[in-house]
Amino acid sequence: MAVPQKPVEGQLLEGGVPAGRAAPAVIAPGHTFESVTDKISGIVLTKRTPIGWFIGFAVAFAFLMLLNLTIGHLLMTGIGIWGNNVPVGWAFDIINFVWWIGIGHAGTLISAILLLFRQQWRTSINRFAEAMTLFAVACAAMFPLLHTGRPWLAAYWLLPYPNTMGLWPQFRSPLIWDVFAVTTYFTVSLLFWFTGLVPDLATLRDRAQSRAAKVIFGVLSLGWRGSARHWQNYEVAYLLLAGISTPLVLSVHSVVSFDFAVSVLPGWHATIFPPYFVAGAIYSGFAMVMTLAVPLRKFYGLEDFITMRHIHNMTKVMLVTGMIVAYGYGQEAFFAWYSANPYEGYMMLNRMTGPYAPLYWSLIAINAGMIQLFWFRRVRDNVVLLFILSLFVNVGMWLERFIIIVTSLHRDFLPSSWDIYQPTRWDFAMFTGTIGLFLSLFFLFIRFLPAIAIFEMRTIVPEAKLQPEQRG
Amino acid sequence: MADMPTPYAPPAEIEGPRSRALLVGLVGLAACVAGFIVDRDHFFRSWLVAYLLFLGIALGSMGLLMIQHLSGGAWGVFRRVFEASSRTLPLMALLFLPVVLGMGTLYPWTHPDQVAQDEVLRHRAIYLNTGFFLARAFVYFAGWILIAWTLTRWSRRQDAGDMRVNLPIQYLAGGGLVFYTFAATFAAVDWIMSINPHWYSTLFGFIFVGGHGISALSFTIVVSTLLARWAPMDTVLKPSHFHDLGKLSLAFVMLWAYFNFSQYMLVYAANLVEEIPYFIARTSGGWQYLALFLVVFQFAVPFLLLLSRDLKRMPLRLVWVSAALLLVRDIDLFMLVAPEFDAASGANLHVLTGEHASHVFVHWLDLAAPLAIGGLWVWMFFTQLAQRPLLAFADPYLRNALESPGGH
Repeated sequence: MAVPQKPVEGQLLEGGVPAGRAAPAVIAPGHTFESVTDKISGIVLTKRTPIGWFIGFAVAFAFLMLLNLTIGHLLMTGIGIWGNNVPVGWAFDIINFVWWIGIGHAGTLISAILLLFRQQWRTSINRFAEAMTLFAVACAAMFPLLHTGRPWLAAYWLLPYPNTMGLWPQFRSPLIWDVFAVTTYFTVSLLFWFTGLVPDLATLRDRAQSRAAKVIFGVLSLGWRGSARHWQNYEVAYLLLAGISTPLVLSVHSVVSFDFAVSVLPGWHATIFPPYFVAGAIYSGFAMVMTLAVPLRKFYGLEDFITMRHIHNMTKVMLVTGMIVAYGYGQEAFFAWYSANPYEGYMMLNRMTGPYAPLYWSLIAINAGMIQLFWFRRVRDNVVLLFILSLFVNVGMWLERFIIIVTSLHRDFLPSSWDIYQPTRWDFAMFTGTIGLFLSLFFLFIRFLPAIAIFEMRTIVPEAKLQPEQRG
Repeated sequence: MADMPTPYAPPAEIEGPRSRALLVGLVGLAACVAGFIVDRDHFFRSWLVAYLLFLGIALGSMGLLMIQHLSGGAWGVFRRVFEASSRTLPLMALLFLPVVLGMGTLYPWTHPDQVAQDEVLRHRAIYLNTGFFLARAFVYFAGWILIAWTLTRWSRRQDAGDMRVNLPIQYLAGGGLVFYTFAATFAAVDWIMSINPHWYSTLFGFIFVGGHGISALSFTIVVSTLLARWAPMDTVLKPSHFHDLGKLSLAFVMLWAYFNFSQYMLVYAANLVEEIPYFIARTSGGWQYLALFLVVFQFAVPFLLLLSRDLKRMPLRLVWVSAALLLVRDIDLFMLVAPEFDAASGANLHVLTGEHASHVFVHWLDLAAPLAIGGLWVWMFFTQLAQRPLLAFADPYLRNALESPGGH
């Protein structure tokens, strides 16, 4: 009798796929319709909240309170509490805005583009990636609103109110385009997320034990009964929303990049900005999905649903988009020299050797250097390492925005107006405060709503491929 | 074994288009030789435009080949077409020689007296000089040919049942994509951007590479429609495969528009003296109509047509969109090169003089050069295509993708 041998890499296995290279499944074997529903809805419907959830939420909530404190102080005192000065007229407020908006992009890409491309691996990560998008956009929106100093007047300055005073907002300003881009993005993302939730909310309504849960989920599920007609309408609506969302993946961050590129400042006025910002957004967004997915699957035992396939594919997306970002850095540096424009040349020299040079080289080390690790399958297999690397990517992308925004402003055309920008403790308080807001919302989300789409997961279990009469 | 027929052997019918292409190429080449003698300056410009079109098909096919190796999916049925296109690169290296001969006409930085007068060109002289230009071109071609040759040789070894190459192919595809993108970016700077002594744009490399995608997909659709008429591909190629290529074409058409809009809008809005002349040259003196033509026929019309699912699934209709796109690509490349030589608004110091000094016109060499290069290129393409099975039938990933319905 032949002893079964461990297959050698490259040797053909059943189905013809070489050993060691077969992609892991999108769902672990052995699951049925019932086990999927039980597992995911159980997280929400249980009466016993894990102690770890309370600890995590408490920490996040503490930072949320810090945010409230900062906003209170800001509204009482004014934005002078920030480090903004002349010539650095905006800094943390726009850095954090761009950072948060960028993070949101992974949600839209996963939910819309991967749906249109029929990529099955989107199924278990789309729901919480979409939630992440909404929370990230909410965090982002705080910064420009509060930068006005009097946010209750922001609508008056930003939105195209009826022109009774002969003072339309400046439509040639990309800041106005940004208002439209971001509000559209938030609205479409919210609709997309909620539409996808409806069938699952109905499942929770049907399974809920407590009266309150039954009523709340009942109202939210909009009378869903799961009839064929409901499903047909649902599919049409979901596909249409995916189609509407797809251009948003490109357009939102392109418009954000216009905030800078439409100007004539060296370091901002670069034609590569739109695609380079979009790639950076997807890159940082997937890093944030990774940061959230690794603990989520660990603590809730969701390894069967968020499998190594998802981890591998997310890492590959980070590698591709990170390489595009690195290409952008290369182009910026080369053309700063090639332009023969002394201001362009000095901008790059200042980034590389000026007062913020350590930050510049850190971001290069992370976004162009460290990501090369993602080429190796051994790295892609190591979940703990990937979690740490994804945190670095988040930091690297934040540093990138800091360098782009601050170095171009603090030393512009006139040396007499040069100055150093230094963030204050309130800048950091507000930034960490929005992270608290983001995490608090995320903790609430995973406690009260299904973090993975139940009915979509049911479509990929093997049982879904059987005819009704074959089912047990 | 020896007398067993090779699976998916190329049909004998491709001998027809192959020999006709050679004929067209030789006639075009004769015309180009005549043009070289009577109107040398024009010959070099026309040659460069036509050269870039077919180089774009070859390089774009190599890029798509590498993406397909990495992403997998049923559109791998077109792999042998991509491979044959990328195996034309040695011919393209040979056809680059006229560009080298024409450097004095095409590139103002080759003239020491002009460099001495021009501060910008003096600054760039350590990059833009004849020796380094040729060395870079050598590196680009050496790298591209090495990648294309290794990928296709390993793919051939899969046919023979050697599965040890499966992993290396994927690693080479990943690294190769990085090399291809960087080399093509700098090639775009060297061969096109530096025609204008001052202009620069950081997005130019992406525009060049994005254009390769449209060219390569269009050519692949045209050739595959032809192949689908004969055995063995008549039973292999399905509407769903053309649907995939159609979707990719739509994506690249949108990408092309996105890149060009971004570049135009940002330069227009900033209106800087070192950037705006590039677009003034292309939006005045009659060139604006060609620019508008590109907006309509390289974006609006193909975009609307390719949205249709039915069109993408009907090769006999899709092929017309793709053939038209190839033609428009030539005009797009013409617009990158020709306006620089317009005496009224062009920035190249070697501008036209005489009757055609400052308006749009098409020289007869602009038609002869694509025929010459295109004929020779297509001949080489079919020569390469005839040498191997039309389907990478032994690739396990491809076999799995072909067996499973939907998704890619």
